[in-house]
Amino acid sequence: MSAAHRQSKQPKLLWLAALFIFFYAAALALAEGISLHTAPIRPNWLYFAPYAVWFASVAFLYKAISQKLPNRDPWIFPIVAAMVGWGLLSVWRLSPSLGEKQLAWYLVGSALFWLGLQTNRLSYLLKRYKYVWLVFGLLLIGLTFLIGVNPTGGGPRLWLRVLGLYIQPSEPLKLLIIIYLSAFFADQIKPNITLFGSVLPTMIMTATAGFLLIVQRDLGTASLFVCLYVLMLTVTTQKRRFLWIIPLAGIAAGIVGYFAIDVVRTRIDIWLNPWAQATTNAYQLVQAQIAIAAGGLIGTGPGLGSPQVIPVAVSDFIFPAIAEETGLLGSAALLTLMLFLVIRGITVAQSTRTTFGRYLAFGISAYFGLQTFLIVAGNIGLLPLTGVTLPFFSYGGSSLVTNLVAVMLLLKISSEGSPEALPEPTRRPYRWIAAIFIILFTLLIAANTWLAIFQRQKLLARPENPRWAVYDRYSPRGRILSQSGEELAVTTGKTGSLTRQILVPSLSNTIGYTNGLFGQDGLELSQYQWLRGYQGTSYDTLWKSQLLYNQPPAGVDIKLNINLALQNSADTLLGKEKGAVVLLNAVTGEIYALVSHPHFDANTLAEDWDKLRQDPDAPMVNRTTQAAYPLGTLVNSLGLAAYYNQPQSAKGVLPESEPGQDRYCQAASKAYGSELSGYQSGCEQAALDLIKNLNPDVFVTSMDAFGLFSAPVFSLRTIPPVERLDPAVIETKPWSALDIQATPLQMALIAASITNDGMLPSPRLRNSYLAEDGTWLPFREGAQPVRVIDSGAALRLRNMFTNSEQAFWFQSGHSKTRDGKILTWYIGGTTEEWVATPLAIAVAIESNAPDLAQEIGSRMLVMFSAK
Amino acid sequence: MTAVTGLILRFLFLTLLYAFLGIAVWMLWRSVVSKQARLGNIAIPSLTISTTVDGEPVVQSFASAEVLVGRSAECDFVLDDQTVSSRHARLVYNLNQWWFEDLKSTNGSYLDGIRVEEPIVVKDNDEIYCGDAIFRVYIKPLEQ
Repeated sequence: MSAAHRQSKQPKLLWLAALFIFFYAAALALAEGISLHTAPIRPNWLYFAPYAVWFASVAFLYKAISQKLPNRDPWIFPIVAAMVGWGLLSVWRLSPSLGEKQLAWYLVGSALFWLGLQTNRLSYLLKRYKYVWLVFGLLLIGLTFLIGVNPTGGGPRLWLRVLGLYIQPSEPLKLLIIIYLSAFFADQIKPNITLFGSVLPTMIMTATAGFLLIVQRDLGTASLFVCLYVLMLTVTTQKRRFLWIIPLAGIAAGIVGYFAIDVVRTRIDIWLNPWAQATTNAYQLVQAQIAIAAGGLIGTGPGLGSPQVIPVAVSDFIFPAIAEETGLLGSAALLTLMLFLVIRGITVAQSTRTTFGRYLAFGISAYFGLQTFLIVAGNIGLLPLTGVTLPFFSYGGSSLVTNLVAVMLLLKISSEGSPEALPEPTRRPYRWIAAIFIILFTLLIAANTWLAIFQRQKLLARPENPRWAVYDRYSPRGRILSQSGEELAVTTGKTGSLTRQILVPSLSNTIGYTNGLFGQDGLELSQYQWLRGYQGTSYDTLWKSQLLYNQPPAGVDIKLNINLALQNSADTLLGKEKGAVVLLNAVTGEIYALVSHPHFDANTLAEDWDKLRQDPDAPMVNRTTQAAYPLGTLVNSLGLAAYYNQPQSAKGVLPESEPGQDRYCQAASKAYGSELSGYQSGCEQAALDLIKNLNPDVFVTSMDAFGLFSAPVFSLRTIPPVERLDPAVIETKPWSALDIQATPLQMALIAASITNDGMLPSPRLRNSYLAEDGTWLPFREGAQPVRVIDSGAALRLRNMFTNSEQAFWFQSGHSKTRDGKILTWYIGGTTEEWVATPLAIAVAIESNAPDLAQEIGSRMLVMFSAK
Repeated sequence: MTAVTGLILRFLFLTLLYAFLGIAVWMLWRSVVSKQARLGNIAIPSLTISTTVDGEPVVQSFASAEVLVGRSAECDFVLDDQTVSSRHARLVYNLNQWWFEDLKSTNGSYLDGIRVEEPIVVKDNDEIYCGDAIFRVYIKPLEQ
């Protein structure tokens, strides 16, 4: 290509870069308005400031290189300009204040770039005084031991503070060591490369630099030096076998470092299994992977993603931040740009006249390639994380300035190129290394594709993904309503700072909470898909909302079966007692009231969090589904059900059940009156007599049918079910049956099946959801009721547990909890005499309070018929 | 409206980003093609190799830019001698000169009595040893 031809193509590339970066800036400028759904277009003009500065400086530098270096490589400058512009805006987007600093550093770098162009003796000076430059670089590193600081306050002190600016000497040292190695190897006459003459001095210098950095815990830069040294050795000696040093030394350093250096061990542990430490050490890495997944193919859009959830995204983790907002398409393009630069640099090296220039061009290109590979592979989990910068993108003044100076050197070398290539064997190592870079970068793009496309859903569904909390602030969740439409939980506030409010705080344990700090629980968690609008909205709405705003649409309102009046009175009746009440429709399983005491208040979660977590009364536990209470003498109803459910021939004789003299029995008799049978009032003696008389196999089978050994399918989290009892154990230790545990919800369902002629319904907390057309559509869910005992047996049970004046039955029971406290149980339901909806109830009180249990049970049933 | 504008900008950004890459690759392709065309047009000074087999002189001239020397029949210039490797060495025209390169032969090659380790420039009337076989190269200078 002639010089004139080269010149003519370059502006075209630069104009394209200027355009695509302009669109990037414009998209960023609109991002805030998009997130807040503002109607008129009000761009944030601030984003055009870095763009204008970048544009002007690139135009200026382009003019300078066109004059000074007419024969330069035509690709390098436009590619670097594009990456720098893209990087500046990306830093600005993550932090405008750091963006300003980065822009200032960029101007410093551009000025050095321009100055470098003006001198013709630069190459000579660099080569001539190679030791001076290197020793200067090492001295700067040495200074950090004495007066090093860290701008963030903590962490390794790798910076020097000069005139209020922070300089990281390891960045310029990278370039200085490349210059030193190039100059040294260029001075060697080919056939005389010997171990002592050429390898040893360079090795000593590189090792000194590496050692200083290892002491400084800047392990990324140290490993970069080793890799660079090996690559340069390969090129100068043309011996491919040196390349094996890199993986072997890497593994060796990893093993030694694992046992010797704490940082290395942490990094390797994180790399091997990030999910094990997802909330602590590996938080950054895990968030980076989730961010890449969140980007998908086309990205969330500039400014619309949540890369700020990755700590220090702006420096070490800028790659995933860019990948989230520009998608796989953007990140793959970024890597391709960088690879293009590396390959062009290596091509320049091959057609350079002077050996020094050739090695220098190669070293600079390899440095860009290696550093990009190290950091990006670390970001996506291919390699242990090394804290090096992504050239031209990461925040960091020293790095940006060094990179710009390196590019200036590369451009100068490229303009001195000879039109003819080197003799074939000399070119071979360059080709190997170029091929290796192509393979490595392809690997990066493949791994990126794996995360962004194939692992996308899996990663986004991880509990570590906090994006739902961001969505909560920008797009309202659906309301949660009672059966008759009273609001239980709503979203209030302005877009951008929306908050969730619970209007019936006593329902907090059921409705749960959604909080960016503490997560989600209860219905807010289990109904996330509906409340957040992923379900129940048309595909069209969902798709548009995600594509345009990177937000889910406004959520879907859902109605519960909760009857607020009943809920409130059950809450009042239980008062200060600890325990739970479950009231449900015995036929359909619709849950009318779900009380758990003590409860928390989701509205004051942030203030109360620590207190709530430490409270021995566990106010955050929903006792209706998560408390495993021992059944104690409530097991009577199960035993009797098993007894009556047997064929006539197998029944045997039901033992008499005189009220005994045990403690529970006396208390119950006092509460209910002495006419109750020992079974109904839950006497221990009656229970033991009954169990001893029952066939244990029949008993256990009956309990299984009632669902005691399986967790009900429910919209709230339930504790894992208890293990199936061994009939042989009951045979030998009848009292062990009293220790079997169940949740109040399970017992309410058993009460429902006794009420419902032996048919066990499945519990239904959700009623319906508001479809897009404004109609309430019922949730189709839950299995059909299943028969657990025959209707005759259910009738006998009800008759046994009722008297003629009442239209309801009940059974009471007591048990002792593991810490020796008394627990009162009460289950009940309506009988045939009942004219309204058949109901069932379960009450559990964590004290000896049979009278209160009886009061709650009967009042709730009566109240329902009265309403 | 803002959101739709934003979406259009995003797609313009990605499209132009790839246009940038596409044009860069296209330019590279063009430059490789034109370079090859230029290399194809370079005039090569013709190379003649002469040796003696059983006392009979053997002379062969070549117009290509690369001449492979060895015992194997696939070579451009065959040296039938037990001390010559099957692909022993080659002569390559590069940087306006003919270069001699030993292809890691068993018994090595010598030019002016020095073992050839690296590619080395040959001039007219150079005598080269491949193992025990000797041949002489003649380079006909280009007509100006």
